[in-house]
Amino acid sequence: MTQIFPKWTNQVPRQLLIGLIVVANVVIFGVWYFFSPEYTDVGYAPEQPVPYSHKLHVSQLGLDCQYCHTSVWDSKQANIPATQTCMNCHNQIKTDSDKLAPIRNSWETGEPIEWVRVHNLADYAYFNHAAHVNVGVGCESCHGRIDKMEVVYQAEPLSMGWCLDCHREPEKFVRPIEEVTTMGYSVENQIELGKELVAKNNIHPPQYCQGCHY
Amino acid sequence: MSETTPTTTYWKSLNELAENQEYKKYAEREFTENATELNDGVSRRGFLRVMGASIALAGFAACRRPVQKILPYSRQPEDIVPGIPLYYATSMPLMGSLVGLVAENHEGRPTKLEGNDMHPASRGGTNAFHQAAILNLYDPDRSRFPRKDGQRASLEDFSTFLSEELGRTTAKRILFISEANSSPTLAAQKAYLTNTYFDNAEWVTYEAFGEENAFRGTDLAFGSRLRPYYKYDQADVVVSLNDDMLSATHPNNVEYSNQITGKRKVTSTKDTMSRIYAVEDSFSVTGSYADNRLRLKASQIPAFTFALAQALSEQTSGLDAFSGVNNSFVGHEWISALAEDLLANRGRSAVSAGLEHAPEVHAAVAAMNVALGNAGNTVDYLEVPHAGDSVETTFEDALTRLNNDEFDVAVIVGGNPVYTSPELAQAIGKVETVVHLSDFYNETSKAATWHINRAHFLETWGDGYSFGGTRSVIQPQIQPLHGGISEIEFLSMFSGSMAKGYDLVRNTFAEYYNDLDAAWVNILHDGIDRIDSFAKPNVRVTSSLGSAVAGALNQTPGSGMEVVIRPDASVYDGRFANNGWLQELPDPMTKITWDNVALMSPATAAQLGVENEDVVSVTVNESSVTIAAWIQPGHVDDAITLSVGYGREGIGRVANRYMDYTSGGSDTYPLRAHNSLFSAGSVSKTGETYEIACVQDHHSLEGRDLYRQATIEKYKKTPEYASFAYIHKYEVPGLKEAAAKGEDEPISLFDEQVYPEYEPQWGMAIDLNSCFGCGVCIIACQSENNIPVIGKKEVKRGREMHWIRNDRYFVGEDADNPQAVHQPVPCMHCELAPCEQVCPVAATTHSNDGMNQMTYNRCIGTRYCANNCPYKVRRFNFFNYPKEYLTTGDDPDIIQMAMNPEVTVRFRGVMEKCTYCAQRVNRAKISAKIETGSPKPADGTVKTACQQACPADCISFGDLTDPNSEVSKIKRNERNYQMLEELNTRPRTSYVAKLTNPNPALA
Amino acid sequence: MSTQPYVPAPPLVKGDHDFASITRLVTDVNLRPTPKAWYLFMILANALAGVLLISIGYLIWEGTGIWGLNNPVGWGWAIINFVWWVGIGHAGTLISAILFLFRQDWRTAINRFAEAMTIFAVMCAGVFPAIHVGRIWVIYWVFPVPNQMYMWPNFNSPLLWDVFAVSTYFTVSLLFWYVGLVPDLATLRDRATDKIRQIAYGIGSLGWTGSNRHWWNYEKAYMILAGLATPLVLSVHTIVSFDFAVSMIPGWHTTIFPPYFVAGAIFSGFAMVLTLMIVARKVYNMKDIMTDDHMEKMNIVILVTGSMVGFAYMMEFFIAWYSGVEYEQAIFILRATGPYAWAYWTMMTCNVLSPQFFWSKKLRRNVGFTFFISIVVNIGMWFERFVITVTSLANDYLPSSWDYYSPTIWDALTYLGTFGLFFTLFLAFLRFLPMIAIAEIKAVMPQADPHNYNEETNEYHPPKVEVPKPQLETV
Repeated sequence: MTQIFPKWTNQVPRQLLIGLIVVANVVIFGVWYFFSPEYTDVGYAPEQPVPYSHKLHVSQLGLDCQYCHTSVWDSKQANIPATQTCMNCHNQIKTDSDKLAPIRNSWETGEPIEWVRVHNLADYAYFNHAAHVNVGVGCESCHGRIDKMEVVYQAEPLSMGWCLDCHREPEKFVRPIEEVTTMGYSVENQIELGKELVAKNNIHPPQYCQGCHY
Repeated sequence: MSETTPTTTYWKSLNELAENQEYKKYAEREFTENATELNDGVSRRGFLRVMGASIALAGFAACRRPVQKILPYSRQPEDIVPGIPLYYATSMPLMGSLVGLVAENHEGRPTKLEGNDMHPASRGGTNAFHQAAILNLYDPDRSRFPRKDGQRASLEDFSTFLSEELGRTTAKRILFISEANSSPTLAAQKAYLTNTYFDNAEWVTYEAFGEENAFRGTDLAFGSRLRPYYKYDQADVVVSLNDDMLSATHPNNVEYSNQITGKRKVTSTKDTMSRIYAVEDSFSVTGSYADNRLRLKASQIPAFTFALAQALSEQTSGLDAFSGVNNSFVGHEWISALAEDLLANRGRSAVSAGLEHAPEVHAAVAAMNVALGNAGNTVDYLEVPHAGDSVETTFEDALTRLNNDEFDVAVIVGGNPVYTSPELAQAIGKVETVVHLSDFYNETSKAATWHINRAHFLETWGDGYSFGGTRSVIQPQIQPLHGGISEIEFLSMFSGSMAKGYDLVRNTFAEYYNDLDAAWVNILHDGIDRIDSFAKPNVRVTSSLGSAVAGALNQTPGSGMEVVIRPDASVYDGRFANNGWLQELPDPMTKITWDNVALMSPATAAQLGVENEDVVSVTVNESSVTIAAWIQPGHVDDAITLSVGYGREGIGRVANRYMDYTSGGSDTYPLRAHNSLFSAGSVSKTGETYEIACVQDHHSLEGRDLYRQATIEKYKKTPEYASFAYIHKYEVPGLKEAAAKGEDEPISLFDEQVYPEYEPQWGMAIDLNSCFGCGVCIIACQSENNIPVIGKKEVKRGREMHWIRNDRYFVGEDADNPQAVHQPVPCMHCELAPCEQVCPVAATTHSNDGMNQMTYNRCIGTRYCANNCPYKVRRFNFFNYPKEYLTTGDDPDIIQMAMNPEVTVRFRGVMEKCTYCAQRVNRAKISAKIETGSPKPADGTVKTACQQACPADCISFGDLTDPNSEVSKIKRNERNYQMLEELNTRPRTSYVAKLTNPNPALA
Repeated sequence: MSTQPYVPAPPLVKGDHDFASITRLVTDVNLRPTPKAWYLFMILANALAGVLLISIGYLIWEGTGIWGLNNPVGWGWAIINFVWWVGIGHAGTLISAILFLFRQDWRTAINRFAEAMTIFAVMCAGVFPAIHVGRIWVIYWVFPVPNQMYMWPNFNSPLLWDVFAVSTYFTVSLLFWYVGLVPDLATLRDRATDKIRQIAYGIGSLGWTGSNRHWWNYEKAYMILAGLATPLVLSVHTIVSFDFAVSMIPGWHTTIFPPYFVAGAIFSGFAMVLTLMIVARKVYNMKDIMTDDHMEKMNIVILVTGSMVGFAYMMEFFIAWYSGVEYEQAIFILRATGPYAWAYWTMMTCNVLSPQFFWSKKLRRNVGFTFFISIVVNIGMWFERFVITVTSLANDYLPSSWDYYSPTIWDALTYLGTFGLFFTLFLAFLRFLPMIAIAEIKAVMPQADPHNYNEETNEYHPPKVEVPKPQLETV
C-alpha cells in the first residue's frame, strides 16, 4: 500500500482543532464587544445646526436643565426648547453672532430649527421622562455629565439590559427628587440612602414587558 | 462614530415626508384664525414614531442608525406640552343631526374621537360612523381642489364666476339642493338667499334616507310637521314597527341605544326590565335585541300597523280613524298580545315606525302614541325649525320642475344626489349649470360644472342641533388639509361675502347672547350651548286624519317577491364608501365585509335555487342589478333586502369597484324610488358566482355553553342559571382538589403568578344583556390601536386583524326564525394563559398588573400562541399590512396622521392582540403614581377604547383589587360567568349572562 | 467440548460470495466512472432543490402570508412536512442502533443505507421549523445566548424542546453513521486508483490501517454511540409529539401521542427505506446482499407498527368518548364526518388497512407489492399529520372562529422542493460512499465464522446447513 499523505499531515487534525477553538473564541469576543450598544451607540455626537454648548450654559452660566427642558416633569418627552426660549436671552446677548443666525432666522420666519436627535430609543420602547424624574432618577444617570459636554453625545448604551440594571436595583441609582437635575451627584451611603428613597417614594420599577413595550 | 451617518433609503422617504407641502403648511400656521383654544403645530415626532415603529421592527434600526430630526416649535403655543394629548369638544353632523364628540389631539393632530358625555345625544357613546370619521379626515382620496368642468380651478375663479354669472340681479332661476343640515347659520343663509337675496331661487332638502316621511306622518296626524323624539328610558314596552332605532343608520341611534339598554340593566333578581317587540322584514340589530320578533314583509307593515291601531281604538279615544280597519291582520295573535301589553302600560310604552315607511304609517303610530298617553311621557313631538320649513319646496315638486326646465342653475350643497337618486340624476341634466360642494369628486361632481371641495367637519367651524334639540358648535381641530370650505362658507360666497366659518357661527350665536364672549368659552369647552331648543307643542289628532289615511287603509299588501332597499350599516348611503375601517367592519347581522349582498330567507333561497355567493339579478320595473345572494336566517320569505352605497367607480382606492369585479359590491340605487322603502320586483339566478368575505363561517353554538341566557322569570327562580355547575350539573374539575389544598381556584400544573400588592389588577366584564352587536367597539379599537386595514382578499382568507370581534350566533329550533345573539370577544387576559406557556422566546408573558402582554419586538412569529388560544383572539401579521396600509398611494403621510403615536405599528411576521389598551392603562398608572404615589388609578380613570365607545355601556373595566370598583361589583353578580371556565385559564375578561323578557302570550 | 452438534445460521448473503467479491460488488459502484443516468437524475434533483430555494426566498421576501394559513389554522403544511420528514428519519438509527444492540445481524445489509436516508430526511425536516416563523432573521432568539436584552428563551415551550431534540438526534446520527463509514472509506482509499479519490477517501478514513487497536477502538466507539442513539430514537419523536400533546387544543391535547408518534415514525421510516432499497438493489444489483428475507423482515415491522398506529386511532376515539369532554368528542366526530373527512379516510385506508396485507407471506415477499405499499404508507403518514395538525385547529372551542384551511401553490412547491434536497444528497451518497457497510457485512458471512475452517489445515469449507435431529437420549 502506497503512502498518500506525507508525515507532517499527522499534525493536521491537532492543529485544526486548536485553530478552531481559537477562531471560535475570537468570533464570540468580537460579537460580544463590537455588536454591543456600548460600542455602537455610546459616543454618538452628531453636529447640530447651532453649536449650542451645554458646557457653557450649564456649568459656566449655571442654567438649570428645566429652564429649557420644561416639560420633563409632566410629559413623557423632555421637550427641546422653542426658539422663543433661546431668544429670551439672545435678543440682547450676542445678537449679531453668526453661530446664532439659524436661531434668529427661525424666530423671524417661524421655521423650526432642525436639531439632530442624539438619544434615540427604538420606537417600540416607550420611555416616559415624568415617570422617572418624579421618583428621583437624575438626568445625569442616563444623559451623563451634560455640564461637561461641549457637543452633546450619548453617554450610556440605552440598551434594554442597561435599563434593567436600574429597574432591578433602583436603590443603586435613585437620588432625592430635589437633586434630580444636579450634575456630579454622589453620596457614600448610596445603597442605604437609595433603599430609604425606594421605600419613601414607593418605587417599584416595572420589570415586565408591558412596562415599556406596547 | 462619524457625525454624518448615512441614512437608509427608507428613511430618505421620510425626509421627503418632512419636506411635504402639507407639513410646511402646518409649520407656518400657528393658530386657526381667532381661535386661541386651538393650534395646529404638528410634531414630526408623532409621525416619525409611527413610521419609526415599522422601521425599527423591520430591524433596520439595528443595522444603521437613522438620523432623526427634532423640530421644536418656533413660538411655543399655549397649552401644548409635547407628549401630552389635548382634548377638545366638537360635534359631528350626520343625517341632519349633531352628536357631541371629544377629539383627542396629539401636538395639534386629531387622532381619536370619543363621545361627549355631557352631550345628550352621546352620553359618552358613539357609533361606528363617529369613530371612523377620523379616517375620513385623513383620507388621501378626498377632493383637494375646486374643479370647473373637471379641470383644476381655484376658489377665486369660482367667486368671479359667482359675481359675474350669479350676481344679486341675476335672471337665472336657481335651485339649491341641500342634504339635511341642522345648522341655524345655514338656515338663516337659506332664508336670506331664497327670500331676500335672489329673486327666483328655490331650496329643497334631499336625504336618501331622511325623516321626510315621519314629518309628513305627524303632519297628517297633528296638522304640523313634528319630529317624534322618543324617551325610551321612560318606556317599559317598546314596539318597533320595522324601526331599526339601534342601528347606526338611525339619526339618533346613540341616544336611543343608551336609553333602551339602560332600561334593561339588571343587577339583582329584584330588578325589572323593559320588553321590546320588533316587527320587521329583514333581521336587524333591533330585531336581534328584541324579546319578541315577528317576521313580516315590509309591505305588510302598514296593514299590521293599522290593525294594531284598530285593536287599540276599541279601548282608547282618538283612534276612530282606524276603527273601521278590517284587514288580514285583525285578530292576529300578535295584535291582541301587543294591544293588551300596550294598554296595560299606557304612558309607559312607545310605538315607533321605520323612517322610510309611508306617512300614513307614521300618522297611525303618532295617533296611537297619543291615544295611549305616551305623547309627552315616552315620546315628545318636536318642532324642528330647520326641517322642511316654509321656504322649502318638496323633492317631488323640485323633480317635476327640473324636468320642465324651470331651473337654470342647480346648487348642490353637500351630499351626492346624482348617485343616490336616479330620478334626480336624469332631471339634473336639464339645467345648464350645476354647482356642487362635496368631500369627494364623486358621481354628482362629475355631472357638475363647478365642483368645490368641502372641508371635513373637524376642519371648519359650524353649528347645529342634535336630534333632540341640543344646540352645539362644531369646533375644528386642525386647519383644512386641502383648503376646503364648509357649506356655510360656501353659501356665504353666493351673497358676495366670502366670510369665514368662525365669523358666521359667531354672528349666529351673537343673537342668542347679549355677551357672547363670556359664554363662548363654555360653549366650546362643553360642546353644548343649550339642551332643549326645540318647542314641544301639545299635540291633538286632527279630525282630518281619517280622510287622510283612508286611501292607505284599503291598500292590500302585494303578494309575490318584493325588493326592500336600506341604508348600509357600514357605508350608510354611500358617503363612507372610501373608509377602510368601515368597509372592513363586519355587518352586525351578516358579518360580511367589503360588499353588499341580496339578503333572503332560507326558504326563498331554496325556492330560487340559490346558495350563498350565487349572483342573482334583481329587477324592479325595467331596471335590474346583479348582486351576490346571501341567505339570512330570520329574514322574511318572498322578499329581498338590498343595501346601498357600493358598486362605486372613481371615488377612491377603497370605494372603487375593481375592474375584475372581485370586490366593491353593486350599486342598488337604480332599483330605488326616492320615497319608497319597498317595491315589487323579480329575482333570477344568473349562474355566476361572486366571492363574499364573511368573517364568520359557522353560525351555530353547537350546543356549547359559550353564550348563556335565560328569561327574566327563570332568572328570578334560579339566579345561578349562568353558572357552570347549574348548566353541567357538576363543579368545574379541580375545585375539590384545590379546596383540599385550601385554594379557591382549580389546581393547576403551572406555578401560580404572584401579583404584588402595590399593583392594580385589571379585569373586564362584558354585559351580554346590553350588547346589540353594532360593532362600534371594533372600530374604536382599530382607531386607538393602529390596526391596519387588510382588504377583502385577506379577510376572505380568514386573516382579519380586529383585536375585538363580535361573534353572532343563531340559536333556537326554528331555522327560518331563529334568535340572534351577539358576543364581543377581546383577549381574555387569562391568568394561566395557554399562549404564554408555548412561546419559545417568551414574547408573550404575564405582567404584574395581571395582563397577558404581547411584546411585538420579541415575537419571532411561530404562531404557536394563536394555535393554543382557546378563544382564538390572537392576530398575526401574515404580510406587512401596516406598510401597505400606511404607505401606498400618492400621499401616504396623510393616513399616517390618523395613527396613535402611543401605540407601536406592528411589522410583518409578529403576533398581536388586545392589550386592554395598555397605553391608556400605563398613562393612567404613571400620572396616578406621580400624583398619589401609588400606581393604582382611581376607578373609572382608565377606559379602554371599546368601553368608552360603547353607547350601551356593555363593557366595564377596572381594578379588581378595589372591591368597590365598578367591575368588581359586576363580577360579584351571580350572572357573571367565564367563557370555557373548565379549561382553568382563569380569564380576566368575563361575561354577564343575557336576560330576555318575552311576552308569555307569544311564547 | 460439548456433544451438541453445531448448527450454523442460514446465510445472510446469498450467492457464492467471498470477501473479495463483496468488496468489489460494493466499492465498484463508487470507483467505476459515473454513469449517464446518474447525471440525469442528479440534474432533476437539483432542479427540485432549486424550487425549494426559490420558494424559501419568496417566503422570506413576502412573508408567511404566501402560504394558505389563516386565523384559526396557524400551522399548515410546513409543520406537517416537518413531522413527516422527522418521522421518516427514524428508521436509520433504529436499524443501526437498536437492531445492533439486539444483535440482529440482518441489519448489516441495510443499515448504512438507512442511516444515510435518516440523516438526509432530518435535514429536510430541519428546513421547516426555521422557515415557518414570521421573522426568520431573529430566529436565533430561541437559543439560550447571553444578550444585551437580558432575555432567555422560554424553557416551557415544546418548540424549544424540539430545537434541542432534533439537533441532538441529527448530530448523534451523523456521528454514528460516520464512525461506521471509517473502515469502508479506508477500503475505498486503498482501492482508489486516482489521486483525488485517494486523498478524499484518505482524509475521510482518518488514517485507518485496520490494526487491531483500530478495530478495538472502532468496536467500542460504535457500541457506545449505539447506546447513545437508542434512547434518542424514542425521544425525538416523543418530543415532536409534545408540540401537540402539551397544547390544549382538542385533538392535540392527548397523552397517547408519544408512543403513537414513535410507532408511526418507525412505520413511515421503514416504508421509506423499502422504497429506496427496492429501487437501489435493482439498479446496483445488490439482490445478493439486500435479499427478499430483508424485505420480508421489514414488512413484518411495517405490519406491527401499522397495527399499533391503527390501535392508536381507535384509542383516540375511545378516550374522546370516555373523557366526556364535549370539545374532544366534537373534533373526533368532525374528523370522520366533517369538512376534512376525505383526509381522515385517506389516512385510515393507507395506514391501517394497507399494512394488513402483510399477514400473507406471499405478499410480504412480493417485491412489486411491497414497493406499492411502501409508497401508500408514506402518503398515509403525511395525511395523518395533516389530519392532526389542520383539523384540530380548524374546529376548536369557539364555532365562530372555525374556518377552512386550503394550501397555496407555495405550500406545495416548498414540499416538493424538499424532495429535491433529499434526492440530491441521496444520489451523491450512492455515488461517492459505499451504500453497504462492507466491514460489517463481511463479519456476518460464513467466511467470518471460525467454525467453517478446518482447524488443522485452515482450509475454508462452506457450512452444510441441516436441521438437527431431535436428541432422544439424555446427556
